[in-house]
Amino acid sequence: MENPEASGNNRTTLSTSSWCHPANRVHRFMALMLMCFLCFGSYFCYDTPGALADNFKDDLHLNTSQFTLVYSIYSWPNVILCFIGGYLVDRYFGVRLGTVIYMTIVFIGAMIFALGAYVNAFWLMILGRFIFGIGGESLQVVVNNYVVLWFKGKELNMVFGLQLSFSRFGSTVNFWVMEPIYKWVATYFVGYERLGVTLFIAALTCLISLLCGLVLGWMDYRAEKILGRLEESENSEPFHLKDILHFKSVFWLVSVICVAYYLAIFPFIALGKLFFERKFDFIPQDANTVNSMVYLLSAALSPFFGVLIDKTGRNVMWVIISNVTTIGAHCLLAFTFFNPYTGVVLLGISYSLLAAGLWPLVALIVPENQLGTAYGICQAVQNLGLATVILLAGVIVDKYGYLMLEMFFLGCLFVSLIAAVLIYIIDSANNGILNLSPSVRDSIKPTRAIDETANLLDTEEFTDQEETDSRPRDWEEEAATSQDIAQVQSDRIRSRYLAQILPNTNIPDRQ
Amino acid sequence: MYLRTFLIVSVISFAFGYDRKITSKLNPDCASCSENTTLVYIRADGDNNTVHHLWDFTRGAPTMITAVTGLNSSLTVSWFKDKPENFLFSEEPMYSFAMAIPEIYEYNDLNDLGHMDGRSAGRGIPLGGRRWARQDSVLTERRAMLLMQARARSRNGTVAVKLDFFPSSGFSPELPHLIHTSNSSLLDVQLVNMSATRGFNSSRFALRLLLVGTEDDRGTMVEDVVKSLDDEHTPGVFEIIELKTPVCARGGGGGGGGGGFLQFRPVAYTEPERGVTTSTVVHTSHFNRTHLEKSTTLFTFYRDHINVELLIRDVFVSFGEPGDGFYRQHNYTAWSTTFGYGAPPVETFSLLVILVICIGLSVPAVLAVSGAVYVAARRCRPHPHRRLDDH
Repeated sequence: MENPEASGNNRTTLSTSSWCHPANRVHRFMALMLMCFLCFGSYFCYDTPGALADNFKDDLHLNTSQFTLVYSIYSWPNVILCFIGGYLVDRYFGVRLGTVIYMTIVFIGAMIFALGAYVNAFWLMILGRFIFGIGGESLQVVVNNYVVLWFKGKELNMVFGLQLSFSRFGSTVNFWVMEPIYKWVATYFVGYERLGVTLFIAALTCLISLLCGLVLGWMDYRAEKILGRLEESENSEPFHLKDILHFKSVFWLVSVICVAYYLAIFPFIALGKLFFERKFDFIPQDANTVNSMVYLLSAALSPFFGVLIDKTGRNVMWVIISNVTTIGAHCLLAFTFFNPYTGVVLLGISYSLLAAGLWPLVALIVPENQLGTAYGICQAVQNLGLATVILLAGVIVDKYGYLMLEMFFLGCLFVSLIAAVLIYIIDSANNGILNLSPSVRDSIKPTRAIDETANLLDTEEFTDQEETDSRPRDWEEEAATSQDIAQVQSDRIRSRYLAQILPNTNIPDRQ
Repeated sequence: MYLRTFLIVSVISFAFGYDRKITSKLNPDCASCSENTTLVYIRADGDNNTVHHLWDFTRGAPTMITAVTGLNSSLTVSWFKDKPENFLFSEEPMYSFAMAIPEIYEYNDLNDLGHMDGRSAGRGIPLGGRRWARQDSVLTERRAMLLMQARARSRNGTVAVKLDFFPSSGFSPELPHLIHTSNSSLLDVQLVNMSATRGFNSSRFALRLLLVGTEDDRGTMVEDVVKSLDDEHTPGVFEIIELKTPVCARGGGGGGGGGGFLQFRPVAYTEPERGVTTSTVVHTSHFNRTHLEKSTTLFTFYRDHINVELLIRDVFVSFGEPGDGFYRQHNYTAWSTTFGYGAPPVETFSLLVILVICIGLSVPAVLAVSGAVYVAARRCRPHPHRRLDDH
């Protein structure tokens, strides 16, 4: 991957038609491939336990809760760490150094994890996984900064989608190849040693990613010199934590929706497979299909809903409508035996509609220079909510059954609906702009000139954090197939959402 | 006319879960009974009728008999040594329904189906003549409970049978939390450490249930699978299986308020700690016409009915699902059912569910209405700086 660049560094004067020139299409494409590979390693290693779940349990004699810990030790610290990681990059490291640092952390974490398996020390594995997690999420942030630096204003949405597809592609490949690798290793080693060796091989992908990071760093350094590019992060004002205190109450209500609404979606999908099997007598394969409908639908519908909301405005109204239809969908699933496709399709539609309506709201409420913090807060509380509730949801199912779980989801949705109605009331009472059509918004605030690029890096950062929310694989390690769809969807949401934040970029119509 | 009135009243009394007053006795009127004899007689007096329960382990096979009589009827048991010889009601029962477990059936599930199929080899383990030890018993006004245990197969293999009767409606304290009423009792069977027959590598154990009702023998028993929305009491299980006698399936009829039933969730547990993760599937076979063995308590009880009008059926209840590693994986199976007369109880949504729905729907509605009124009131007032006239 990194070979083609080796020959290009001794030329000092280059025309833009040369593929060695940073502005050249081919050159940028090579950079893109390297960026894609940056996250490949961490995604690949993230899902290794899921792909080898049975072997982990057998070779290391892990019980289910120990196995779950392998995943949750990754997720929990990241409720706040990705926030800090992005901040450090902005303030101190810079993109190039940040990438290499986080990539190294990821690599070390993966190696410690493998070593833990090799010597059968569970605590060492957990430590490795923890270190891996510290690097992994922050790496996402910094890679997104890279993408913005190289592709801002041109193919940004496409590149974001591609880069994320590739990352999720890492986890899919992992599900394909780990089992054969394990079998091959098992011909030379036995017991937990074979698992350890397999994990060392998996960790090599992180080494490859690290090499990509180094090459990309050099390319970036060169591009900066040739193009005379300024570090964009110097332009944007870093956020101050005290700004949080000045956020409007409407913003906090939006955060409430961010948490409460998504609680009724992601944990439901995580636990949905068994629900469809048990309540509707679906065979596992069909249950997986119906379960993945939500992601599939939102993948297909999000661009259209984006256009719809661009044209009509009235975000709060759409949020209220999607809350109501989501409640209807959950009621269908909880209180009827109608074919669950009915409920799930409605759920998927409502979910896409809400995502399209809700996220741009933040940009309307909060001043541009605080957007990063604002989205970061939404993201962090949402992650926190999801991490907590996925545990709680399991307990509810075990103790009180799926009906009570549905009741819990309905409760969350009611909270979300109340928050949406309150936003509507507060906004109307203050003659706010949230629920107006775009033309009226423009006529009210003609001076509201938005410099699209000023906050690009901030924007990027939180967009990246958003991605953690669309990670159902934290909870369902077996659903390899549905992850692809989840991944596609997450790109879609991100792109959609980017398009909302960055008014100049086009709405992606990729399928 | 009298019968219809009686039926209506009894249905109403059932619906409102009127408590019954219970008096229970161990080995009533038995002079020569020892600690090893167990026959529990429970008399449950309601407002309109009396239900007599007999739980008998004296002849080996666990036997439960329910008889419905008028309020003044009494039952006398006469004994021969430590076996009941005759059951005499002072007034002929209006209806009687009984269940026994004459044998445990082991089948070699070579195709790993979970349920029994005709082709798999199997052998019965008769319970008749087996000695039962009374592990525990509670005979109070609020509850009648009996826990019995017998050895089966190997030195460690045990069959434990727990019977429970409550004079009021409620949910059984243990999973699967079945609904009991004052017209039904609970049966819980545990098969622990049963060793497989030599040569059977895929052993599963089933229970053969013998069901007897004082009804027309030409009728057909019905198995109803009721889908239930509510799995609050039995997490993850959305079905209720009801085995009904013909009269019960017709929705009553006859003086006693309508036939007999077994009601259970199609779930069994493979470990003493019951939960969603330790559950397995329950299967029922077809009903077969059969007869009563002479040496059984059921024969003694129904001696006079046999040639008149008596419905006798047996059914196999088996446990397991494909790929679960057969019985030997856990060496444990526990299954619960309720057993009663009249109409099977219907589960309703719990208060919590209704509360969440009501509050959840009303609060946003109230907010929306009051908010709309508030905003409208503000807008209607003349306002110098109104910017939204175009709306």
